[in-house]
Amino acid sequence: MNELSLASQPEIIEPIVSARGLRKKFGRKEILHGLDFDIPPGRIYGLIGHNGAGKTTTLNAMLGLTNCEGTIRVLGEDPFAKRAKLMENVAFISDVASLPRFLRVRELFALLSNIHPNFSIDKARSFLEGTDIKPEMKVKHLSKGMIAQLHLAVVMAIDAKLLVLDEPTLGLDITYRKRFYRRLLEDYMTEERTLLITTHQVDEIEFMLSDIMFIRDGELILHMQMETVNDKFTQLVVNDAEAQAAARAYNPVYEETRFGQTVMIFDGVDRNLLEPFGRLSTPTLSDLFVALMQRPTANPESAR
Amino acid sequence: MKAFTALIHRELIEHRGAFLIGPLLLVVVMFGATILAFTVGRVDAKFSGALLTVAPLRVYELGFLGFGVAWSLYLMATLFFYAADGFAADKRNNAMLFWKSMPVGDFKVLLSKLVAAITLLPGTVYGVALLSGVLLYGVAFVAMLINGTATVGALGAIVMVYGHVALTILITIAVGLVWYLPYLALIGGLATAMGRWAIPVSLVLPAIAATLEWVTLGGLHPFTTHTWNYLSYRATFPLMEDGYIDSWFVGTEPFNALLYASDLLGRVDWAQVGIGIVFALAVMYLGSEYRRRSNDN
Repeated sequence: MNELSLASQPEIIEPIVSARGLRKKFGRKEILHGLDFDIPPGRIYGLIGHNGAGKTTTLNAMLGLTNCEGTIRVLGEDPFAKRAKLMENVAFISDVASLPRFLRVRELFALLSNIHPNFSIDKARSFLEGTDIKPEMKVKHLSKGMIAQLHLAVVMAIDAKLLVLDEPTLGLDITYRKRFYRRLLEDYMTEERTLLITTHQVDEIEFMLSDIMFIRDGELILHMQMETVNDKFTQLVVNDAEAQAAARAYNPVYEETRFGQTVMIFDGVDRNLLEPFGRLSTPTLSDLFVALMQRPTANPESAR
Repeated sequence: MKAFTALIHRELIEHRGAFLIGPLLLVVVMFGATILAFTVGRVDAKFSGALLTVAPLRVYELGFLGFGVAWSLYLMATLFFYAADGFAADKRNNAMLFWKSMPVGDFKVLLSKLVAAITLLPGTVYGVALLSGVLLYGVAFVAMLINGTATVGALGAIVMVYGHVALTILITIAVGLVWYLPYLALIGGLATAMGRWAIPVSLVLPAIAATLEWVTLGGLHPFTTHTWNYLSYRATFPLMEDGYIDSWFVGTEPFNALLYASDLLGRVDWAQVGIGIVFALAVMYLGSEYRRRSNDN
């Protein structure tokens, strides 16, 4: 093989996470029904779904916390078999309350600097500058928001390739939530790092996502880049009944009435065709979530 | 190794109340009570009317050895509760996922708890025991100054006594720890799966095992089975029978730690110690596999 042929070959980017036929059962109940997905490096993924949809189980499979059928590889390794080794390059927050409460902040940092080879105590201290968290404070004496800040400082001080956040801002007020995500974007994200977030506060993370995955009842029903979402889905707000009837001919995936106006969401319909019927826009992630995630049996009124 | 040492250190931080602060408080209370006793005249430091029959060094020796026994009993009780509590602490404190986000395996975490239970944690109590000996030394010497028996020679002798008793306590604790290691591991392993319920379960487990043998293989009653006899043998500290301690009690010679050590080490069934270590490692492995799968359990 000559030099020219080597140069002309497209560069193959190894995914950070790769799952094939991922299944998980608890007792007789199957929670994950054979998920297939790849997560490339340098992306910010949102994994979104109802309670009990299988988000945390999927994350647990990635983090080696649970054993699944099928194949899952994170950074090329089987996470359940090699969790300890994998954690050198993977950081996660799965519950903000999970920091050891008996430790002081300085003790926590000192322990981590000995336990984790990629943890930088200086970085962790710098992330806490400007906060009310002091080294002598015990974790159990910190407020919920301060614990979240501390946990974020801990994971951001780990030089990891993949950061997984499972409901990291649960129970925090809006100020802390905004600060949490801003800090993450400004101080942590680089092209080499991949971030995977699950949250119910979809609108708050929409601005930072590069890709989304919607999971419903253990199946991935949407997995695409945000740019593609913008191109693929269209929201139409329509007032008069005649236009509504005409728009319905294009099979909206969702329809609801808000303040006397009808809102429809279309999947893959040319915007030029819809333009005559009303006001067009790109649906927000939460609107799209509601549109695609609703279960007819649970919400028959809005299912069409 | 650095990570393993840090994990052992975190056990001390987490349980410093039982292994450091509690013992220190006990020493402070005991020392305070002693000072108070002297101050209000409860202690007859002059040993009025008995000076010729009391050997101050023997009193100090017995006192410090008594402290050693008391600290050993304290340690045994604390380690029992540590094993039942410490091995389940990550789950109970809701910190399991945090520790699982660290690059250390579950076996290493559990092993660090077991190693802490036989090194750093008893080491801390031993340190406090030595401190209590120093304070007792101070009290003994002040008493000797008061009753006029204090001499430079007595000062040197008391240092020798301190050294011998300190070494005796160390050897006793070390042998006790390796001898009872399988019990510690068993309680810890049970606690990994069932938390503090490991305390009652570990207490009834020997009776259950003996009963099972009696039911399946027969015998007079469960307490005459091989299982019960073996567990009784493994629960008995090797020093209980006649030996150096008895001969020292009836004699007048000062306590000799080296003679005590050779007597004690000669009585230890080292094959059983080896079996105990293998058993402890096996239990830690099983516990770690449970912990590794605890999200599925």
